[in-house]
Amino acid sequence: MRPGRKIGLVLLAMSLLLAACGGGKSSEKAGESTNGSEKVKLTIWHNFAGDDLRAKAVRSYIDQFAQDHPEVTLDAQAIPPDGYRQRLSTVAAANEMPDVFFVYAGSQSSELHQAKLLQPITEVLDAHPEWKEKFLPGAFDPFEFEEGQIYSAPLGMSATSILYYNKALFEKHNVKVPTTWDEMMTAIKTFNDNGITPIALGNKAPWVAQSTILGSLADRVTGTEWFKNAAAQQGAKFTDPEFIEALGYFKQLVDNKAFQEGANSIDNTQAEQYFIQGNAAMMISGAWTLTNLAASSTEEQMKDIEVTTLPAIPGGKGEANTISGGAGGGLALSSRTEGKAKELALELIYTVSGPEAQKSIAESNSMVMYDAEIDQSKVTSLYYKAYNLVKSTGITPVYDAYLSAEAAEVINNGLQEIMMGGSVEDVAKKLQDAQARSATP
Amino acid sequence: MPTAMRSKGFIAIALLPALLLFLIFVIIPVFWSAYYGFFSWKGFGEATFIGLDNYKEMFKDPIFWRALRNNLILVVSSIIGQVPIALVLAIVLFKNSLFSRFIRSAVFMPMVLSTVVVGLIWGYIYHPQFGIANHVLEMLGLESWTRAWLSDPKVNMLAISIPINWANVGPYLVIFIAALQNISPEIHDAAKIDGSSGWNKLRNITLPMIWSTVVVTIVLCISGSLKAFDHVIVMTGGGPAQSTELLATYMYNSTFSVYRYGYGSAVSTMIMIVSAILIAINYFATRRKSS
Repeated sequence: MRPGRKIGLVLLAMSLLLAACGGGKSSEKAGESTNGSEKVKLTIWHNFAGDDLRAKAVRSYIDQFAQDHPEVTLDAQAIPPDGYRQRLSTVAAANEMPDVFFVYAGSQSSELHQAKLLQPITEVLDAHPEWKEKFLPGAFDPFEFEEGQIYSAPLGMSATSILYYNKALFEKHNVKVPTTWDEMMTAIKTFNDNGITPIALGNKAPWVAQSTILGSLADRVTGTEWFKNAAAQQGAKFTDPEFIEALGYFKQLVDNKAFQEGANSIDNTQAEQYFIQGNAAMMISGAWTLTNLAASSTEEQMKDIEVTTLPAIPGGKGEANTISGGAGGGLALSSRTEGKAKELALELIYTVSGPEAQKSIAESNSMVMYDAEIDQSKVTSLYYKAYNLVKSTGITPVYDAYLSAEAAEVINNGLQEIMMGGSVEDVAKKLQDAQARSATP
Repeated sequence: MPTAMRSKGFIAIALLPALLLFLIFVIIPVFWSAYYGFFSWKGFGEATFIGLDNYKEMFKDPIFWRALRNNLILVVSSIIGQVPIALVLAIVLFKNSLFSRFIRSAVFMPMVLSTVVVGLIWGYIYHPQFGIANHVLEMLGLESWTRAWLSDPKVNMLAISIPINWANVGPYLVIFIAALQNISPEIHDAAKIDGSSGWNKLRNITLPMIWSTVVVTIVLCISGSLKAFDHVIVMTGGGPAQSTELLATYMYNSTFSVYRYGYGSAVSTMIMIVSAILIAINYFATRRKSS
């Protein structure tokens, strides 16, 4: 009998607890509907979760919106970039998108658009023409899914293939900063002979080599038009000789030991540190490195660092003096947000990506697709150099912005495979197969 | 009898909440996921029924077989690594002295650490330029042995299995100590009188007495190794070039990086089937032994 009674007591206690919980919830709901009938609930998801200046700048505009609109209950979720895509695709699968969310330019936003989860924000752009006009040419290209309908305003610009180099090391070993492929090979050889890593690379997350090196390198060999055709699988294939040649140049870097040993098992941030500490003479990386270095290294360390573009390729069909890049991600509006909430959501998008916000983001050492007047004293010297470089060069497509998610994964892994001694032809064939699968549904 | 019946009723009612949670969050999703495995689905938008095509593709995909092989490497390494190490430590640290309690806590320590921390620590240990592993080898004059432990496909699965074993010895140690404490002191006394000690005693008395525990730990090793995911995701993410892909990371990457939810679901169903097969093998192997 005794244990039986005890169990009974426990059960009773549990049911009381449960009842208490349930009671709490229902009263909360009741309060919401009576007192706050005009309160509009808005949710925003973004990936500006870090401690860097840019993330802080963006978050401050979200806070400002919340302050200016007391009638809005704003639920802002800052999700670290590493898990952001996954989180968003998880809620997309359940059709539970937040009202406003950050989307990347390229396959992610176009897939969300195809799934009818987005609605255009054209009206807010048209309502502020002085804002819309100041965006740089091509800023809306990745978000104009239908003629005249724009789905997001970019919050940044991705310049993914800036060649950073350590001027002091080049002078010390009397090496010319490479402007041609031969000079690049000479530089690599000289630095290797002197026990310095020629190019720092952190390719553990395997998109790095693809985004920073291959895109720009291949564009110089094949030309932009060939790549766009190959991505669309119209009249060009990734097994074409020009792409094999492009991969061959990458393999040449690997074979000449341009990268430090184990580049595939350290991450991009570790490679940046390795480079800034003077262990490597060059690093090919995106504009994000500017932001990272601004946050983590001293002006003293940065004064030796210069920026330029990748060297030209002899006989290549693409232009030299270009950088791969394009509009960065921006805020998008869920197709389920309607009425008053939609009005306020558009207002939120304007606050966070409007003229003032663009200027603040640019002054936080990160590139924008917007013609902002920057206060030179607010940015680092390295950022200012890069900013001038990017303004003077052409922009070519980043590979993974045009490839399907699956094909991007294949080329990412393929480059790691080449770094481990894999064959260029196999990788090209796998990429072609993957892209063909997704281009012909 | 009536009391037994009534307590059975109580047991049923008391089990109900747990059972419901288990049903909703484990059993039903398992069947759902098995169902999605027959579809081509991006995670959002239309899903199209494609029958067994996902499974056919999986069996043709060399990466699937590599992932399976890597999982089996982990299973073997944990059975020949964790179980004997934990057993030896348990026998050595059986006494309740301050010293052995300290060592016991030290061995259990990594289990308390978050696996992400363990992964990061070992990522630094294996760092190709600044890592302690290479540094120690250089100090010992073994320069030729230094390498990029996590990049080199010849050694990286082995390099990964070391931290996984290191982090998981703790619980087995506790299980074995508990089993050893269950052997009654009379048996030890009897052994002493009969003149059995050392290796002889271990082989003929201690091991047979705790054999059922050893079998349980082996089952735990198998299921734990097939579920392995977190250490690998942190240390290599399954790379480079998918050389350290495990079934779980393969499933994760095909689902959440490539957005092929249908295919990912098929892979996760396959993980269940493989586990069931291995556990069945284990079941029959141990049953023969006991009969």
